[in-house]
Amino acid sequence: MYEVLMFDGGVYRINELYELVEDIGGFVIQKTQIQVMITVTIAIPAEDRPVIEAKTRELGGKLIEVPLAGTEIAVVGPTLGRHHMPHPICDIAEHLRKYGAITVVMGLARGKGRQTAQISADEKAFIEEYDAAVFVLGNFADCILKDKVRLFERIEVPVAVVCGPEITELPSCEALVCGIGRKVERMRRAEEIAKLEETARAVQRIVEARKEEIDEDPLFVHPAEVKQRIENLELVQQSLRPAPIVLHLDGLRVKVPIDMVKNQLCAVDIYGRKLCEIANISPSRLGGSTMVHILTKAQVASKDAQALSQRAIQTIGAVPPESKAEAKQP
Amino acid sequence: MNIQVEGSEEYGNDVYVELFERILIDLGLTNRVEGAKLLIYPEKHLFIVTVMMRQARTSVKVSEVADVSDRDGNAYLVIRNESYAPPLLALLWKQFGRERIEQLSRLEILAHGITVGKIESLQISPGEELRKEVLDAVWRLLPEGFKVRHNLFDKNVMTIISTEHTMEEEFVQMGKRAHQQMVKGIGLDEGTEVVDDEEDESDV
Repeated sequence: MYEVLMFDGGVYRINELYELVEDIGGFVIQKTQIQVMITVTIAIPAEDRPVIEAKTRELGGKLIEVPLAGTEIAVVGPTLGRHHMPHPICDIAEHLRKYGAITVVMGLARGKGRQTAQISADEKAFIEEYDAAVFVLGNFADCILKDKVRLFERIEVPVAVVCGPEITELPSCEALVCGIGRKVERMRRAEEIAKLEETARAVQRIVEARKEEIDEDPLFVHPAEVKQRIENLELVQQSLRPAPIVLHLDGLRVKVPIDMVKNQLCAVDIYGRKLCEIANISPSRLGGSTMVHILTKAQVASKDAQALSQRAIQTIGAVPPESKAEAKQP
Repeated sequence: MNIQVEGSEEYGNDVYVELFERILIDLGLTNRVEGAKLLIYPEKHLFIVTVMMRQARTSVKVSEVADVSDRDGNAYLVIRNESYAPPLLALLWKQFGRERIEQLSRLEILAHGITVGKIESLQISPGEELRKEVLDAVWRLLPEGFKVRHNLFDKNVMTIISTEHTMEEEFVQMGKRAHQQMVKGIGLDEGTEVVDDEEDESDV
């Protein structure tokens, strides 16, 4: 399993770190250099962490845990109205970013009210493009338990719910954080920051569980490796959007429209195979982006077996009927 | 300022009192509100807010807050008291239309084709402004989905009854009772209190 860490140190002998990461089969996800200081986000095999720690000590830097790096998380509110934004939804999103996640804030079109609150199939599909979703709800247990619970039913990505009242159990969600309800001011008091930490830990737990689930049937290639191969594409480099490639747990989002980039993406070589052979490339519901879902090793093997049997059938079909008759004779 | 609350969920009650206090602080209205009472019954889809405002500043004539002079047949105003600038501009727009009122600078206004006498006799009523501001605070507080509303207004007291579905007679009666109590000032001298639902049910 890969572990994502951030190196914080100087540029002196930094190439040694890059080489070591490459040697142990890891990847550099992001580099940010400010004069002589540099932060490097790396994904390394978890068992090789001591080697990287030793190198970091040698270089005089430090390693920072960024447990949510390489994930994109949706923070969802019932609406985009001032009753829910910017606090506490944006506070939560900002705090998750400190843990390395890329976060997106969204509001539902008709999530307000109790019995009138609803989520459309389109909105669910939109949320399912992310690695996890955090639903931020209000202050009344009766409202949450009877009505708002419908908003996150049957969502296929892990869901964490944040709400005000103390609720012991809530269906359809993987994590529950109580004590953050509606707010009209920034969460900056000590107890509020503790609640933000609790939310980040809850999200971290559900992301870890998802990672373990993926590791049971591992991906054909780690998304960070695909990122390395495609970030040199001209169209990707021309993209002016911040973070043109966003890593997901099981793929990546490329912020270039699919009709422009599909052929180039498809042709990218990954261990002697084309990317479209080992991944599903589809348009994102977020306009102007392309989703790349990497297939698992088992899926690729099954695809190979299917292709092989297809070729065998074609070969048999190509044999002339006379020769088949001859072959049947003893 | 004293905010009372009654409802069925203790956590929600406490949070909404704090929310209302924060909203009033944000809007700079803490000194303008005498007291308020919130009735919160999420299971009935009911939220009632009743607010008693402090006495607003008395009405003033335009001539008391601005120097008005004639300039080529147009009225030329120089505002002396800046706090009256927004209501004065709003009043002039309402009376004469935006096309005839030109704001030359922060404190200078030129009213085209309007005599000095007409302008000087106008009265600015800050009470209306205060009412709008308090109403804004209440709208910020009310749950977003509770769009069906019934309003009760008195001289210094306003009550907003809001629900998600049909406005039932029972809700209006509860609102009227809370409104009357607020008009009489009942409970305003007490501290912030949370009334348990069971006790209240007997009154309803």
